[in-house]
Amino acid sequence: MSENEKLLVVKDLVTTFATPGGPLPAVGGVSFDLDQNETLGIVGESGSGKTVLSRTIMGLQPRTNVTVSGSALLNGFEVVGASERAKRQIWGTDVAMVFQDPMTSLNPVMRIGKQIDESLRVRHGMSRSSAKHRAIELLELVGIPSPQQRYSAYPGQLSGGMRQRVVIAIALAGSPKLLMADEPTTGLDVTIQAQILNLLDELKERLKMSVILVTHDLGVVATRTSRIIVMYAGRIVEMGTTRDVFQDHRMPYTRALLESSPKVASPSHTRLVTIPGRPPNLLKLAAGCSFAPRCAYATDRCRQERPELQPAGDPGHLFACWNPLPTTRGATPQ
Amino acid sequence: MLRYVIRRLVMLLGIVFVISVGSFYLIHLLPGDPAVVILGTGATPQNKLILYKQLGLNRPIYEQYFTWIGNVLHGNMGTSFISQTSVASTIRAALPIDVELIVLSQILAFAAAIPLAMRSSRRPDGPLDRILGATSFTLLSVPSFIIIVLLVLFISIKLGIPHTGPSSYVTLSSDWIANLESLALPAFTLAIGSFVVYYRVLRSDLIATLQEEFITMARSKGISQRRIMWRHAFRPSSVALLGSAGVNIGGLLAGGFVVQYLLAIPGLGFTLINAINMSDYLLVQGIVLVVSVGVVLINFIFDFIINIVDPRISRE
Amino acid sequence: MNELLEEVSLVERPEKNKPLGILFWVCVGWVALNVFGAIFANVLPLQNPLFENFSAVNAGPGLHHLFGTDDLGRDIFSRVVYGSRVSIAVGVGAMLIGFGIGAPLGMLAAYRRGRFDMVLTTVMYILLAFPAIIATIAVLSFWAPRGLAKIILVIGLASVPLVYRVIRTATMSIATKDYIIAAKVQGATDRRILVKELLPNVTPIGVSFLLIGVATVITLEGALAFLGLSVNPPTPSWGNMINEARTVMAQNPWLVIFPSLALCLFLLCLNFIGDRLRSHFDVTEVKL
Repeated sequence: MSENEKLLVVKDLVTTFATPGGPLPAVGGVSFDLDQNETLGIVGESGSGKTVLSRTIMGLQPRTNVTVSGSALLNGFEVVGASERAKRQIWGTDVAMVFQDPMTSLNPVMRIGKQIDESLRVRHGMSRSSAKHRAIELLELVGIPSPQQRYSAYPGQLSGGMRQRVVIAIALAGSPKLLMADEPTTGLDVTIQAQILNLLDELKERLKMSVILVTHDLGVVATRTSRIIVMYAGRIVEMGTTRDVFQDHRMPYTRALLESSPKVASPSHTRLVTIPGRPPNLLKLAAGCSFAPRCAYATDRCRQERPELQPAGDPGHLFACWNPLPTTRGATPQ
Repeated sequence: MLRYVIRRLVMLLGIVFVISVGSFYLIHLLPGDPAVVILGTGATPQNKLILYKQLGLNRPIYEQYFTWIGNVLHGNMGTSFISQTSVASTIRAALPIDVELIVLSQILAFAAAIPLAMRSSRRPDGPLDRILGATSFTLLSVPSFIIIVLLVLFISIKLGIPHTGPSSYVTLSSDWIANLESLALPAFTLAIGSFVVYYRVLRSDLIATLQEEFITMARSKGISQRRIMWRHAFRPSSVALLGSAGVNIGGLLAGGFVVQYLLAIPGLGFTLINAINMSDYLLVQGIVLVVSVGVVLINFIFDFIINIVDPRISRE
Repeated sequence: MNELLEEVSLVERPEKNKPLGILFWVCVGWVALNVFGAIFANVLPLQNPLFENFSAVNAGPGLHHLFGTDDLGRDIFSRVVYGSRVSIAVGVGAMLIGFGIGAPLGMLAAYRRGRFDMVLTTVMYILLAFPAIIATIAVLSFWAPRGLAKIILVIGLASVPLVYRVIRTATMSIATKDYIIAAKVQGATDRRILVKELLPNVTPIGVSFLLIGVATVITLEGALAFLGLSVNPPTPSWGNMINEARTVMAQNPWLVIFPSLALCLFLLCLNFIGDRLRSHFDVTEVKL
């Protein structure tokens, strides 16, 4: 597939926050692309820059104290450097976001119906009544019972899971081509989590969207994505098909992440392995691999020289490591 | 919501009761025989008898209170022995002037505070925010009696603009343009005090609200900045603004005497000061009661508005 | 977006206590100078503020009379210095009464909670609903004869509910912190916790509120003086100087401008010090 048919092409994207402690590179040079109708997972611990990355891709970073460089071509539109006014044209219609915490992402003093049909009326010029009609349809689509009544409820009157469905309905209002889901289930009960994820899956098929699923939980992305990006300290450390990342990962961090997430298959009371140490302070990044201080395989080279992404063998499978884990596929390339 | 309103109403009644007892008891702070003090030079035995009957001064104090409150509830707050007019009618004549002054000043204050707070909250610590921050902080320390004196000094005396100086009040019914001119300086003075409070409160709440995730969410819908500010940020940021407006408007009713006094505008404040200077105690008592109840009522109304604006509050 | 930053950084934020800054110390110096002038006005080489020099009436500012003279030939500079006495005495005196009663009650109520707190807080909130300005005016106008002590007492008592509320809220936010609970669990006596743990933490909030309170009371005294409800002339106070000067301000504007300037500068400095202390100790805004 040639590049201009891709829905999203990200190249050398860097997002730096100006903080009282100095410039903070939250995203430190990220490149990847996304096909139409594809579901991509972005995985990493909190602090890995995945949330900032997802917002930068759609140009939704804070308006002050942030600088962005590189390129993010979304459906032919260059997001980096675009004015707020220009970005408004793609927000909602080309790309929409499902936010992390439905407790804070809905306006508490605005009826939920108004929050859904606002963009229909303002952006798509729909009349009051047809916007309302469409909003109720959307509420039904995301599985909210008795949508007629819920239309005029305040967010505080709904449960967390219902609120997240409303957030999804808002995101779907403009029929976006790309849906960003940033930890869409973090604040919810486990049973509700699965419901919301299944809903996203189903909607993706029905509405022919691409989805970027951002999460810290590998279990969430295992069955729902075709490809996975693993992030650490603002950079991609491994990227490949879901199968590659789960079964043939080469970067020790990916393995640590896998071992630290609970698996249904393992016997009960299995001890989870925690990753020792803390994510690095992005204000004081060392010269070498940022994972080196926590890595069991780290050598002097790891501490002095940063590994770049290199191909692992399977097409599209990349990793950044000086001492990669042995491949599970018999022969190592080279 | 209904339970909340009922609870507040019960509290309101309690407070009004306490206020009425306080206002009633003021008479007994007077040294010596209150009748003699109230009547002043007109303390003839005949007048004394009338006053004793009117106030029930020879009966136990709680009975006196019930007689008094009964009269007040029937709109009878006594007749001033100084001016020979009924206290209620004097208050009825003065109160509309206060209301007009407050309404004018609030229109000015909100018209300036809301747009400026919105502008400066979008760029906290930007040039506009810094200038307005320093200006409003300085104005916070300038009492209204100084502002009005300086305004009179420069505008009505140095520039000689008509209808703005002391004792040039024109009633609304006789000439509304001249009336507005004569209220311009006091309304502006009161507006400055209100503006400073509203601007600072709204600015800091807006800055906090604009950090909220739901604002980013609104942004991601692709709607205009203006719409985000007015439809999404303003309402959740206006709780403290409304609260301080309630307190402030009550304060203007109670503290508006300063500007009225200087310009001899015959509102309640001016009438109160005159009554104090003339030792017209029944009128003072009446004004204290009306103003206090007014202040409490204003606070109650604003509490109610806050609940409508932010449904989260009564739910808690 | 703050959450976002916290998420990406996960670093110990740099100390956020703002430095006090040079302007803070300028203000402290100005307040100290005023207080010094007020206390030692008698011994300072000032002209008698009541001396009427009819050979120099309504003189403009000059070398002999720094701020000029008023319509009775009295020296304005000396009257401004003497005038600060009333303002400062009322401001400080009233706040001492307000804090003397309101602060211990507020701390105790917040620490004890229960019925004691409930009853006291209800009473205070009812009192708070009573408009303080009008109550002060009413009492001062009925309670003859007026004098400085009475003014201080009435304003001081009127401020008690406000002080109570601020101190109670401040104490409560601290009393629920873990280290206080830990001290309780370890069996520290109530007195020890109140004096050793709570008091040092409430003090910064109290001090910044106290300064802003003094400024507010001084404004109120000025307004009362303006209405002739404060100390009687010829004793100068900033408020009654402005009031007396109104009638002649067309001829001699200095008479209004100097006491106004003195009053505003003093208030500005008090407010500024209070505000800076508040943000220095990172206290959330408490409204007066």
